[in-house]
Amino acid sequence: MTALVMLEGVTFTYPGAVQPALADVSLALSAGEVLVATGESGAGCSTLLLVATGFAPRVVGGRLRGNRRIAAERCGIVFARPWTQLTGLCSSVRDEIAFGPASRGLPGDVVLAAAERAMAELHIAHLAEREPSQLSGGELQRVVVAAALALDPEVLALDDPAAELDPEAADTLYDALPAIAAAGTAIVIATPDLERASRVATRAVVLEGGRIVATGRPAEVLGGTEAARIARAAGCPPPVPLDVPALLRRVQR
Amino acid sequence: MSGFDVRVSGVRYAYGEREALRRVDLTLRAGERVALIGPNGAGKTTLTRLLVGLRRPTAGRVTVGDWEVAGKRPDEMARRVGYVFQHADQQLFARTVADDVNFGPRCLGRAAAPVRAVLDELGLAPVAGVHPYDVPAPVRKLVALAGVLVMEPGVLVLDEPTAGLDRVQRDRVVAALRRRADDGTTVLVVSHDLAFVAETAERVVVMREGQIAEDRPARELLYDRETLAALGLRPPTTAQIGMALELPGSPIRAREVVDALRGTRWKEMPE
Repeated sequence: MTALVMLEGVTFTYPGAVQPALADVSLALSAGEVLVATGESGAGCSTLLLVATGFAPRVVGGRLRGNRRIAAERCGIVFARPWTQLTGLCSSVRDEIAFGPASRGLPGDVVLAAAERAMAELHIAHLAEREPSQLSGGELQRVVVAAALALDPEVLALDDPAAELDPEAADTLYDALPAIAAAGTAIVIATPDLERASRVATRAVVLEGGRIVATGRPAEVLGGTEAARIARAAGCPPPVPLDVPALLRRVQR
Repeated sequence: MSGFDVRVSGVRYAYGEREALRRVDLTLRAGERVALIGPNGAGKTTLTRLLVGLRRPTAGRVTVGDWEVAGKRPDEMARRVGYVFQHADQQLFARTVADDVNFGPRCLGRAAAPVRAVLDELGLAPVAGVHPYDVPAPVRKLVALAGVLVMEPGVLVLDEPTAGLDRVQRDRVVAALRRRADDGTTVLVVSHDLAFVAETAERVVVMREGQIAEDRPARELLYDRETLAALGLRPPTTAQIGMALELPGSPIRAREVVDALRGTRWKEMPE
């Protein structure tokens, strides 16, 4: 499969910064994948999303070195702080979500259909008539994800997309991702939520100080789930179980 | 620092036509660690804002110790109730992290405020001289929390303090809050993060559609699979393990579960 995004030895430095936020990063992202990038705060996961979608340096400025090829025509990105992403122009959630496809100049019925489909996928049809500025943080986060989805992006980058969500809404969002990916979108998620990430990821990378320090299947890479930490601390020999069912299977009763 | 009881009696609040709180009664005791959970839009944030006087109830009353919140300005309330917004970016403005944290004490002429100690406690010492907007968003949250902790308020109200934090940062927040409660401070956290709730709270209040749906000890509620499921929630990892293995004492903190699992015989994996 051809990669939608290809990074080879990419180093990115924010404007005015001395240290690069991403250093010598190589990875490819293809349609159908759900790539999870994780690491401690400041490790470079959010920057990776900006670089992989082309928003850095084009929008945020800074300096990029190395080879980057973005074959995708449409990249959607959802920031961890969703209220920064509202248009400020729309008086209903439906209009807010329709704004992206409408600004692509698509016919009205196509725009509305895209908005309705995106709302259905995120389970927010009931919010359609609400005023975006009156939404709770979690409602807003889903609206912003739906708005990105309505653009029919080939690459969808999500920065800690469940940070504002209650657990049920977070599960709903994560559970929707494999189908979206299977329909031909490459998804890349930056998140510290290893529990949910390990459920949907097809591949995972761990960043540290802007560098990729581990990459591979989620089970190999995402060893930091709470179940894994408990099992390790209680003396479970490797391979450490990543979730509760796996942990329970390892207990000799 | 001695804490205060917080009393919310018959409180209602409406945003225009939409009723966000529909008669809420809640008492928090000084030194208690309470978590407020519930689905998005249940009224959690609205309720916390009433506690600091940022919003006035449409009906009912709120008291903090012997203060009637309705009779106080928000800046007066801030001396008793430290509030960390869900979006902590809204409360930072100084040129460095240390200046921001020191702003409150400086305004009140408290030279002896524990600025350095709080920066250390939250792991912020390395970025003390950095501009608050040059640190990652989750760290800004810790800066906002530090700015509240140095004021040593008798009541702490934190709206989603752990969103976006990594595990090390989260553990620091847990430790800081437990320490304050041990000293008598009343701690109320709004959180979707049941693992954090399990580490922090002794009592859990569940809100749904503007009302209090459950108010129970954390050890009880986090083990009540049916009640949690009805709220669209799942027990935290610790309680899931505790339930499945019938661990004694209903452990909810990770350390308690590890202790209960000591001596477990583990199967080797065939692969």
